[in-house]
Amino acid sequence: MTMLPKPQPGAKKLGLVIDLDTCVGCHACAVSCKEWNTQGEAGILPDYDRYGPKPDGVWLNRVHSYETETQGCSRTVNLPRSCLHCEDALCVTVCPTGASYKRAEDGIVLIDPEICIGCKLCSWACPYGARELDETNGIMRKCTLCVDRINDDSLPAAEREPACVAACPSRARHFGDLADPDSEVSQLVAQRGGADLMADLGYRPTNKYLPPRRASIPTPPASEPEKPALGIGSALLRLLDRTLSR
Amino acid sequence: MRPSASVLLLTTLTGGGYGLLAWIGAGAALQLLPASRPLALGGIALALALASAGLLASTFHLGRPERAWRAFSQWRSSWLSREGVASVLAYPVTIAFAIAVYQHPHGIPARVLGAAAALASAGTVFCTAMIYASLKPIRQWHNPHTAPGYLIHAVFSGAVLLALLSTAVLGVPGTAAAAAAVSAAVALAAKALYWRHIDRQSPLATLAHAIGLPRDTEVKPLDAPHFTENYILREMGFAVARRHAARLRRLAVALAFALPAALSILAGLRVMPLALTSAAAACALLGLLTERWLFFAEATHVSALYYGRPV
Repeated sequence: MTMLPKPQPGAKKLGLVIDLDTCVGCHACAVSCKEWNTQGEAGILPDYDRYGPKPDGVWLNRVHSYETETQGCSRTVNLPRSCLHCEDALCVTVCPTGASYKRAEDGIVLIDPEICIGCKLCSWACPYGARELDETNGIMRKCTLCVDRINDDSLPAAEREPACVAACPSRARHFGDLADPDSEVSQLVAQRGGADLMADLGYRPTNKYLPPRRASIPTPPASEPEKPALGIGSALLRLLDRTLSR
Repeated sequence: MRPSASVLLLTTLTGGGYGLLAWIGAGAALQLLPASRPLALGGIALALALASAGLLASTFHLGRPERAWRAFSQWRSSWLSREGVASVLAYPVTIAFAIAVYQHPHGIPARVLGAAAALASAGTVFCTAMIYASLKPIRQWHNPHTAPGYLIHAVFSGAVLLALLSTAVLGVPGTAAAAAAVSAAVALAAKALYWRHIDRQSPLATLAHAIGLPRDTEVKPLDAPHFTENYILREMGFAVARRHAARLRRLAVALAFALPAALSILAGLRVMPLALTSAAAACALLGLLTERWLFFAEATHVSALYYGRPV
């Protein structure tokens, strides 16, 4: 059913909180996501032209790196980009088949691989580019928040978290219930001013991004090229340099 | 957005088919059509053939065409599902209309069912348009011009087809030629207003906004997640160069609107009516395909921002 579920009292809002301050852009989350989800119930996450000139494939999480500058301080910001499990998920309501749905109990947005017809409309409806077409199976794929880990009671409790969170070496990824104001993730969002991506578009994403902390050391301006020094010693050195450079 | 042949054919062929059906249905309802069974029945047959071809073409867009029947289930929320339901509902209405015309071209059943067929046609085209108009990440589609534009273009292509059919059946296009010329002018005006609108829009977001940083932050892409094109870039990152877009717009204006209008007027003045109405229909079809190609190619998706592409 592609109608969005009515908000239920006490329902969870499971999602990720990603710390842009500590993400080092190592792509471990993306690789780990690919590794876990290529063996899930929806089948492999295919790759095309694996050893050819244009390798390509389906990834549910991709890491971009940007150069940013604000008030004289520049820094690199790495942005892992995956499904944000939006509350107003247009990808769900546009689906003509009911394959794309949002779970009432925890807000996770999923695709039923047995029903999806591969019409691509959900990927057009997502402003975050979080859905990718599996051209081998003709269906759409997306982040499941590793439902097959977090809901698997046979796993030790500590491992019931998404593969990307488990893999992150800098602990930049946090998983939890954003509906509970006392949860660790909600506390992080409150303390660090966690933000929505493109909040104006009105999708109300569940996942939050913690902004980079202000750099305390301003970036020095690009230095002027050194002027050649005057004097007989420098002239000799320049002559030596020219001779040796030949 | 990548213009795929299946979707271009879907929107232009169903536009022409349902546009023609709307003219025949409304003409029967208001008794404006010449009392000719071959004209009405031929029109209905041509309309159904075009619409069916378009709907069939759309299934080539699907990754799993054998599951297409599932698309009729979510009409409560999805415009794509509503389009499917509306197009299927239009068939029995149209067939009943054809039977009524066959029995009594000017009877009450033909008039009532004609009005119903016209409404079903307009409804289906409206649903198709709303698929695009409801997509918030694409500013060139999510605006008040999209739905009226699709309806006006359907009415125009239907009028061109009606003029051709009238000539083929009755020897002269009659008032259908005037209808084609006038609707060409209206369709051109709608398209010009649409182009003016999208040329003046500002992007939906900046890159800083897309990665959750304050607006005053300068952001430049440093490293992309992958060095070849992926699905997102192929599908959503497609962009036609401005220079080509301007040239194609001129081509679309000439082929889709100016030439069909001029040819229809000449045909209306009984200058080689069959040849000229045929040429007008061929020009309009090619021109509308060009226009529809541009509708996709000029549309930018906000997710392309993450890759530093213009949106």
